[in-house]
Amino acid sequence: MPDSETRPNKQDQQQPAETHQDVRRAVLEAETRRHFLRTLSGGLGTLFMGTLAAKYAPPAFAAVPSSEAALDFTRDASNPLSVLPPQFAAKARRVIYLHMAGAPSQLELFEHKPELTRLDGQDCPASFLAGKRFAFINGVPKLLGSQYPFHQTGQSGQWISDRLPHLEKHIDDLCIIKSMRTDQFNHAPAQLLVHTGNARLGYASFGSWVLYGLGTENQNLPGFIVLLSGGKTPDGGKQLWGSGFLPSVYQGVQCRSHGEPVLYLENPPSVSRPLRRSMLDVIDEINKQTYAEFGNPETVTRIAQYELAFRMQMEATDAMDIRKEPESVRARYASKPGEASFANNCLVARRLAERGVRFIQLYHWGWDSHGSAASEALNIGFVKRCSEVDQPIAALLDDLKQRGLLEDTLLVWGGEFGRTSMRENRGGQQMKFVGRDHNPGAFTIWLAGAGVKPGITHGVTDDMGYEIVKDPVEIRDLHATMLYLLGFDHHELNYRFQGLQQKLTSVKPARIVGEILA
Amino acid sequence: MTPSLDRLSQRNRFALLALTPILLLFILVIAFPPDGSERAQWAQFIGRFHPIAVHLPIAFILLVPVLELAGRNSRFVYLRPSADFVLGLATVSAILAASLGWCLARSGAYSGPLMTQHMWSGVWLATMCLLCWVLRGRLTGGEFVYSIALALTVGLMTWTGYRGGQLSQGEDHLTEFMPGALRKLLMMSAETRIVSPPSTATFYGARIHPIFEQHCFTCHSANKHKSNLRLDSYASLMRGGKHGMVIKPGNIQSSELFRRITLPATDDDYMPKENKKPLSAAEVKLIELWIAADASATLPLEAIKDAPSPTTAAAEVTFEKVDFAAVAKERAGLAPAVAQLQKRFPNLLDYESRASADLMFNASLLGEKFEDADLASLAPVADHIVIADFSRTAITDHSAAAIAAMKRLRSLRLVHTKITDATVHSLSRLDQLESLNIFGTRTTPAVLPIVAGLPKLRHLYAGETTIRADAPLPAALKDKVLF
Repeated sequence: MPDSETRPNKQDQQQPAETHQDVRRAVLEAETRRHFLRTLSGGLGTLFMGTLAAKYAPPAFAAVPSSEAALDFTRDASNPLSVLPPQFAAKARRVIYLHMAGAPSQLELFEHKPELTRLDGQDCPASFLAGKRFAFINGVPKLLGSQYPFHQTGQSGQWISDRLPHLEKHIDDLCIIKSMRTDQFNHAPAQLLVHTGNARLGYASFGSWVLYGLGTENQNLPGFIVLLSGGKTPDGGKQLWGSGFLPSVYQGVQCRSHGEPVLYLENPPSVSRPLRRSMLDVIDEINKQTYAEFGNPETVTRIAQYELAFRMQMEATDAMDIRKEPESVRARYASKPGEASFANNCLVARRLAERGVRFIQLYHWGWDSHGSAASEALNIGFVKRCSEVDQPIAALLDDLKQRGLLEDTLLVWGGEFGRTSMRENRGGQQMKFVGRDHNPGAFTIWLAGAGVKPGITHGVTDDMGYEIVKDPVEIRDLHATMLYLLGFDHHELNYRFQGLQQKLTSVKPARIVGEILA
Repeated sequence: MTPSLDRLSQRNRFALLALTPILLLFILVIAFPPDGSERAQWAQFIGRFHPIAVHLPIAFILLVPVLELAGRNSRFVYLRPSADFVLGLATVSAILAASLGWCLARSGAYSGPLMTQHMWSGVWLATMCLLCWVLRGRLTGGEFVYSIALALTVGLMTWTGYRGGQLSQGEDHLTEFMPGALRKLLMMSAETRIVSPPSTATFYGARIHPIFEQHCFTCHSANKHKSNLRLDSYASLMRGGKHGMVIKPGNIQSSELFRRITLPATDDDYMPKENKKPLSAAEVKLIELWIAADASATLPLEAIKDAPSPTTAAAEVTFEKVDFAAVAKERAGLAPAVAQLQKRFPNLLDYESRASADLMFNASLLGEKFEDADLASLAPVADHIVIADFSRTAITDHSAAAIAAMKRLRSLRLVHTKITDATVHSLSRLDQLESLNIFGTRTTPAVLPIVAGLPKLRHLYAGETTIRADAPLPAALKDKVLF
């Protein structure tokens, strides 16, 4: 007995590896097909139980949120646009964004550069051209002074040209940033950058982020409404108000500027509202089953859109109908019901702001003043563009201010980049009309309203208005600042996609422009 | 006689036993006074229990006169003998509390006159307790001396506790919210005492002192001088702390203060400590420029040309961490009422932010469907509503009281409602109101004096009312009324 017991022990000490292998082999040999099948099914059962348990277990973030935890934006699946409070007490509760597609010339509107005017017609210094890429400028262009006279106005004494006689009455309400900068010199990517924080397709627009973060109070209207002013769709396309990787329920809803604002809102003849309701209820039921089965958030979007459309039948038509405004008000906006115009849209924007729409995006077009055609000339088309926006914007500011809405509405005006201090010389030749090429190095935008210091100018460009010499503001800085006004730390308003906490300000550090905060 | 003799010697033994730690305490306090340096972890850890332990002697000492006095009544005569035991407990706990106090002060970098007073009164309190105890046992018929000693002990305890409270809660922790009338009665000055700040015409006074005030005073001023360093006056700043001078005029490299504020935030020596807000780049620059310009107290403000302007100094936006647990606690009381109202008014009532328990309510989207009765239903959360919009609803003057009950309102919108002057009149107590919007109502110029009396008002929106833009306005409303 003792002998037989000690021997394997000895062996074990001498050749442990072999013994382990032996044991394993013995175990495997003892395993019959029957054993295998039994443990296999047991294993499958355990796996299944595991998934079941995971399904019914409370999600990890349901625990008491710690200060480290990311902000929770989860909502009831049937109500993806429900209101969520901002991270911090916000100054701005809604945004009206006036985008001047094509990039208006800052040198004809806000940038007073007497030195440039003095040097008008002279050859552009080589230092301006070294290492620069232009859309069209070739060879050595000539410097081009401002085409319009400038003057100081308002108590703030800010400079403005004679092209915006109505807006200039509000100069003390405006916070003008003259040191905006972008890294894109073509329209589509530059517009994408301004709207989505990224020059490539597939990112969520500013409005979508805001809707995602805050939801919308008025569930009978889209929370993010886009109005074009006739002309053409901006070069960046509908991606400018797309939701990118965010669920598409947060994308902007483009409304028509003339005729019915939203097509097919009316019920067809012989379909009554109750009948429509019961039809939608059935569709809803099917969609909900689909969602329960596949869990695709786009199904939720679809349910929400059906419901929104049903509720909009009542309210959208009313909100968009500027005929309901008195003649005197329409006259102040220079609005003519029935046509597609920026003026009409400004009036609609005010009506939407009153109705609690979270993000109102207005586009105007045709600001690409290259000078290659009359419509793009600084002395022809540009003049018309100015007159199309000047009075309506002033009236909008008037109304917002008078009704107290400017207190919690953030108004932003701007294009996607600036224009050069040189006259464009496409193909190296003097062009028929006067124009300027794209300048990503410096451009001007203005903000007004909620939480923004009124009557100030931020940032300085050089004497030619060509490059920034003080306080540059990147697009991401602007975005961070706007999100701050809306009550968010731009790092915290994020969405997990492709393994990243995606955010509007992307990956480079963004600075909140504290200098312009009231 | 033997038992009583025994008892006496027992008392003597206790007295001697208690005297030893008291003497030790005196030695500690004299030989190792708190000097504003931070020390051993253990001592500091134990010391942190001082604020808890102090409540024991307070309770025991207060109990003694209660027992003594109640015991005079024949019905409670049995209470009197226990006073002896309680006094003994008071002595032991006072010694314990004082020892812990020394640990805290010695190792936790405390110093300053307030600190010293509190420390000595604590040590003497322990001594007095023992003395009372001894007197109570010894004196036959001489109760008088004992009662005097006891009264003194209670008085000393009150004083010690008060000074201790001042140390931990701030100098005015008891009187901070004392109503003005009571202040007058007690002949206290109506305003809080303020150390005269340095002249704002100098660079030091206008630009440097405010930085210290904002970032450093919690640990380095009159109340607390950690590391023996005070930054609340030019003289003490230049005197420096226990490591010597912290500012070397004209020499940035060897100025300890500048070194500390420019270290990486993770460094042990980095200031400000303990997750306090770091100085902004502009503030650091200001201090650098000032030291380089010989750190003078009299240098005029304009002397340093390229100093960052105050706006840039304030422009760096930082976010404070939100303590969600604290927010949840704050909300706990009203959460059920909020949830109920949110069901009734979906998407229209919510917290102002994730970091607050204040509410916003927007009834304007309900239009005519929202009536006085609906507004009345907000009563349970009324004093949490800070922003309210009742524009275009069907509310009338019947809601005046309900609106006035929203005492913390900052913004109130009544655009195109049927309210009249009566409602505005009832708002006179809304002392937080910053924005009042009566656009398109039937209000008249009679409301202007009421509105003018609102202390925080910044905007009155009076368009499309019978108030005319060219009408004379009260001086308080100048530039505040928009038409």
